[in-house]
Amino acid sequence: MAATRDEDDERRADSLEALMRSVQQGDAVAYRALLNDVAGRMRRLVRRRAPWLKPEDIEDLVQDILLSLHQARGSWDPARPFLPWIVAIARARLADNARRYARRAAIDLATMDLAETFCDIPTNTGAENVVNLLSVRKVMEGLTPKEQRAVELLRLREMTLSEAAEASGSTIAALKVAIHRAMRKMKATLYKD
Amino acid sequence: MTQGQKHTEATDTLIARLAQDAQPLRPLAHPAWRALVWAVVALAFGAAMVWAIGPRPDLADRLVDARFMLEQGAALATGLAAAAAALALTVPGASPLLRLLPVVPGVLWISTLSIGCLRDWWQFGADGLRLTPDPACFAYIALIGSLPALVLFLMLRRGAPLAPRWTIALAALAAAGLGNVALRFFHMQDAALMVLVWQVGSVAILAVLAGLGGRKLLPWPARPAF
Repeated sequence: MAATRDEDDERRADSLEALMRSVQQGDAVAYRALLNDVAGRMRRLVRRRAPWLKPEDIEDLVQDILLSLHQARGSWDPARPFLPWIVAIARARLADNARRYARRAAIDLATMDLAETFCDIPTNTGAENVVNLLSVRKVMEGLTPKEQRAVELLRLREMTLSEAAEASGSTIAALKVAIHRAMRKMKATLYKD
Repeated sequence: MTQGQKHTEATDTLIARLAQDAQPLRPLAHPAWRALVWAVVALAFGAAMVWAIGPRPDLADRLVDARFMLEQGAALATGLAAAAAALALTVPGASPLLRLLPVVPGVLWISTLSIGCLRDWWQFGADGLRLTPDPACFAYIALIGSLPALVLFLMLRRGAPLAPRWTIALAALAAAGLGNVALRFFHMQDAALMVLVWQVGSVAILAVLAGLGGRKLLPWPARPAF
C-alpha cells in the first residue's frame, strides 16, 4: 500500500517536471496546471510546518512562493528534479518572513509591557504571522518549563488567564508571574540578537 | 464567502495572472559558464579602461615578473570564483557551501601579498613596509568594477534571491577583484603592503558595503494587491 502511494507521488513529481519543461517553452495551459499543483503542495507544506497559522496567512505565503517561482523559473534546470527546486524557494520564503517577523516582534515587545496581562492585540496582517512560532520557539529555549507553558497557553493559544489556569492546573497569580518573567526574558533575548 | 475562501480566490487570481505571462524562456546555463561569459565582458571593459587611462610604462617587464603574475592570477581567480559562487547562490537547491568558492584563491591572493611584504621587509627594511595614502585605488577599483557589477547584478536578478547579502557581497568581490586586476596594469604600485592595504582593502570594503545592501538590491517579488 505504502509502496503504491510512493509510486503515485513519484509519478506526480515526474509530471511536474514535464509541466515545467512546457512552461519554459511558453505553454500557458501547462503553467496554470503547474501553479495549481504547486499551490496545493505548498499549502500542505506550510500547514505542516506551521499548523497554528490562519488560512489567510497560509495563502499569503503560498502566493509569495508562486511569485518567486515565476521570477526564478528560468533557473530550473530541466535535467534536475523540480520538487527540491521549489522546496528550496519555499524554505527561503519562510525564513525571510520569519526574519521580518522577528524584527517586528522586537519592536512590539518593547511596547507591550501594559499588554502582558491582558493580551488582546489584534493579529498582524500579512504573512508575518506565519512564522510566529519560529521566532518564538528560538527565544523560548531560554525559559523554564513553567514559563514556556504560560507563553504557550496565553500567547500562542490565546487563552484567557482563567482558561490557562484550568488547562495547566496552576493559579492565575502564578501564571501572571510566569508570563511576566517569560516576556522579560524573551525581550532581553531578542534585543541581544 | 469566508475570509479563507477570499484568500484562496486571491491565489487563483494570481495563478491566472501569472499563467497569462507565460513566455518561452531559455533555462539559465550552468553558473560556471555564466561566470565565464561575465568575465569576458568584465575583462573587456577592464582592458578598455587600461587603454583609455594608459598602461604603465614598465608593463612589459611586469608581464614576465612571476610575482606580479602570480598576484594577478590569484586576484583574477578570486574574482571568477566569486562570480560563479554569486550566480550559483541564486539557483534554488544549489549547495550553500558554494559561497566558499573564493576562499582558496582569496587565501592564495592574500598569501602571495603577505609573502611579498616579508620579502620587501627583508630587502628594504622598514622602508619596504612604508604605508602612504593612496585613496585613488578605491576610486579606480570602484570605477572599473562598476559596469561588470551592473552586468552581474542583472544576471543575478534572473535567479532567486535565496541569500541576497552573500550573493551581492560575492558579486561585488568579483567585480572589484577584476577591477583590481585591471588597475595594476596602469597603476605603478607594487609594494606588497600598499597593494594589500589599499587595493585588497578597497575590494574587501566594497564587497562588505554591497553585501549590507543585499536585501534591498535583490528583493523577493512583492505580492500584488487584488
